[in-house]
Amino acid sequence: MTWRLLSTVVFAWTLSGPVLQAQTKNLLEGNPDAILAGMAGFRLRCADCHGTDGRGVRGPDITQVWSSGRSDEGLFRIIRSGIPGSEMPAFIAPRTSDREVWQMLAYLKTLATPASTDPPRGNAENGAKVFRALCYTCHKVNTTGGRLGPDLSRIGTARTRDVLVARIRRGAEDFRTGFEPVTITSADGKPIEGVKKNEDLFSVQIMDTRERIQGYEKDKVKAVENGKKSAMPVFGPDRLSDSDLDDLLRYLQTLRGFDPTVKQQ
Amino acid sequence: MMRILHVFAVCVLLVAVAVAQQAPPPAQVSIQEVAQGLPADGSRWLTFGGNYENHRHSPLTQITPDNVSRLKQLWTFQTATLGNFETTSLLRDNVLYVTGPQNLAWAIDARTGRQIWRYRRELPSNLTACCGLVNRGFGVLGDKLFMTTLDAHLIALDIKTGAMVWDSTLADYKTGHASTIAPLVIKDKVIVGVAGGEYGVRAFIDAYDAATGKRAWRFYTIPGPGERGHDTWAGDSWKTGGASVWVTGAYDAEQNLLLYGIGNPGPDYHSDSRKGDNLYSNSLVALDADTGKLKWHYQFTPHDVHDWDATEVPILADLPIGGQTRKVVMFANRNGFYYTLDRTNGSLIVAKPFVVTTWAKEIGRDGRPVLLPGHVPDEKGEVTCPDLVGGTNFYPPSFDPATRTFFVQSRETCMTFIAFKPEYVPGERFTGGSGQRVPASQSPAWGAVRALDPTTGALKWEFKFLSPSTSGILTTASGLLFSGDADGNLIALDSRGGKLLWHYQMGATLHGTSPITYMVDGRQHLLVPSGTTLTAWVIE
Repeated sequence: MTWRLLSTVVFAWTLSGPVLQAQTKNLLEGNPDAILAGMAGFRLRCADCHGTDGRGVRGPDITQVWSSGRSDEGLFRIIRSGIPGSEMPAFIAPRTSDREVWQMLAYLKTLATPASTDPPRGNAENGAKVFRALCYTCHKVNTTGGRLGPDLSRIGTARTRDVLVARIRRGAEDFRTGFEPVTITSADGKPIEGVKKNEDLFSVQIMDTRERIQGYEKDKVKAVENGKKSAMPVFGPDRLSDSDLDDLLRYLQTLRGFDPTVKQQ
Repeated sequence: MMRILHVFAVCVLLVAVAVAQQAPPPAQVSIQEVAQGLPADGSRWLTFGGNYENHRHSPLTQITPDNVSRLKQLWTFQTATLGNFETTSLLRDNVLYVTGPQNLAWAIDARTGRQIWRYRRELPSNLTACCGLVNRGFGVLGDKLFMTTLDAHLIALDIKTGAMVWDSTLADYKTGHASTIAPLVIKDKVIVGVAGGEYGVRAFIDAYDAATGKRAWRFYTIPGPGERGHDTWAGDSWKTGGASVWVTGAYDAEQNLLLYGIGNPGPDYHSDSRKGDNLYSNSLVALDADTGKLKWHYQFTPHDVHDWDATEVPILADLPIGGQTRKVVMFANRNGFYYTLDRTNGSLIVAKPFVVTTWAKEIGRDGRPVLLPGHVPDEKGEVTCPDLVGGTNFYPPSFDPATRTFFVQSRETCMTFIAFKPEYVPGERFTGGSGQRVPASQSPAWGAVRALDPTTGALKWEFKFLSPSTSGILTTASGLLFSGDADGNLIALDSRGGKLLWHYQMGATLHGTSPITYMVDGRQHLLVPSGTTLTAWVIE
């Protein structure tokens, strides 16, 4: 046994006892009793900062922790040891048992990924082709594609099929921060269309339709107009058949994201 | 010959004045200096609010609405640590005394921004402190600076070296007690309070002997058995009722009265856990400064269930109301109402919403809110405006005595409040619920600096922000108002009409505090705490 391995084991043992080193996946995920118990634990220990819906109040939104690359084991460790120099406390044993931590994670998982009402179906291989034909210009998966819309490398694990279908068939009814449509009219009257990356009273920062990122001072342009409709087009059955939609969703559901930093960890 | 003598005499006088101006102040900071507030020559800033009345209004006039756009940075100081400033720095004899996050503090050369000394108190590894590992400033007297610590101590530091002189324990940090408040020095005593309302503490205000650190008195913000008000807590709920004290109060020297705002009752949201009015949570208490005895109280939000601490900054003034001069305390509350109270007895003079409020129709003649139905949180949740952060918060307001205007950072926000029965475990959070943001598509949150007439609560003017800010406010006799928005902009407004005069992107908000201003070498300085930086500005 190398020193590194030995110290890892000792560290893991110190944090949470022998269970942690043996358990890297949450075995209670999807267990209804554990989820119910986890809800109680979450509300007592986590909700005050992270909100009862996990979407953040005093602390950050933690509903996307898995889709942003965190593992069950890593989250267990954060709950156990806290985040030094921040307000995230350590929930230590025996006051908070291993089982309670896994129960809280099981509950959080239900907030992060709502249960799908539909069994998987469709052909992922064809879905990749559909994606390339219809979505690729604006959306990126696994490092390739456009940047104007959100990266979809993990969307299939972060959203239910129903939500995705609604977005594709009916378009987006609201705007995700960083993707709000905006049109700037320059001093010489030229319109510049794009999505808003940031804004304050005096300036606005955008990515235009050519993917140029640029800031504009409001007193040096003619107008800054917020769009009322998302740039996401509506794909009705005339543009995307039900069969191709199934294939596209299946393809997205197979994706698990691409993050070199996470892989190195 | 007479003319020559006359010129000579004038020269001698000018030299004498110049020498007098350059002469350093006495080595010891006298209580008279502290009590004097902000002097006309701008040579000192020695208390949290500038003066005991907490006006946060400077007499300096070198920086004006006409030249404010010529402000330039003189220097920037970096904390080089995690966490943000929430501090009000002190200045004396061209040296700044600054507390920071993580139990850090510094003496800084006000001319150059260079560190003279640094103090650090090691944080316990198992520290539990809500909400931010911050500190709001020093108190000063003699050759000592006074600072509260995150592990619930009050310490005195040697003003020349930063070495610790004495260390008094306020409470056990392991049970959730902490302290972030800027001490207030009255006569020979240092007044402080404890935080920990989210951990089920029973909070208090303490006075300590400035020379020795020995405790002089303690006022529990929750009455114990046999004390008046104890019966406003059902069962044993008084033992874990919070009512913390984390924002510096005001001092009325004439009445020898301390006026402090008290935090919310715990558990924050679960009504059934603590039936009753829950005195003196969400109250303004008036205490005898020598003994800590309660003289009067006014409870803004009896039996609060929305985390609306009354830990805002009280401001004192004498105002003409109803044909007579009234001794008042002005208070913009987290619950969304602005209040003017008679500070001799706590009676209500004015109460008016300064933001949208949905929980109370009005404040009745008896001083109690007239509640609207449907605003007690339960497991399903209920939407109330303002949100838990409040219509305003601990961000210091300002008062211009010349125009009799009260300036307050105002937040237009709503929230879904949810409550469930909590279990008390010492040292763990004990809030009994939480909140969920109402989506912006349903109820967009925004903010404004508002100028109020404290004799009526009427709005004089407002300057709107895209989102709710958390910055305090400084005003000056030249008609300037300095504050910040939620996007990191330092903002200068015309305090008489609210017109935007100048702005600068600091890169971080002026969270929970405001700039201060003072004179060094004949130039008016503006000192801006923002994120992990302090930046001094002067007119070029």
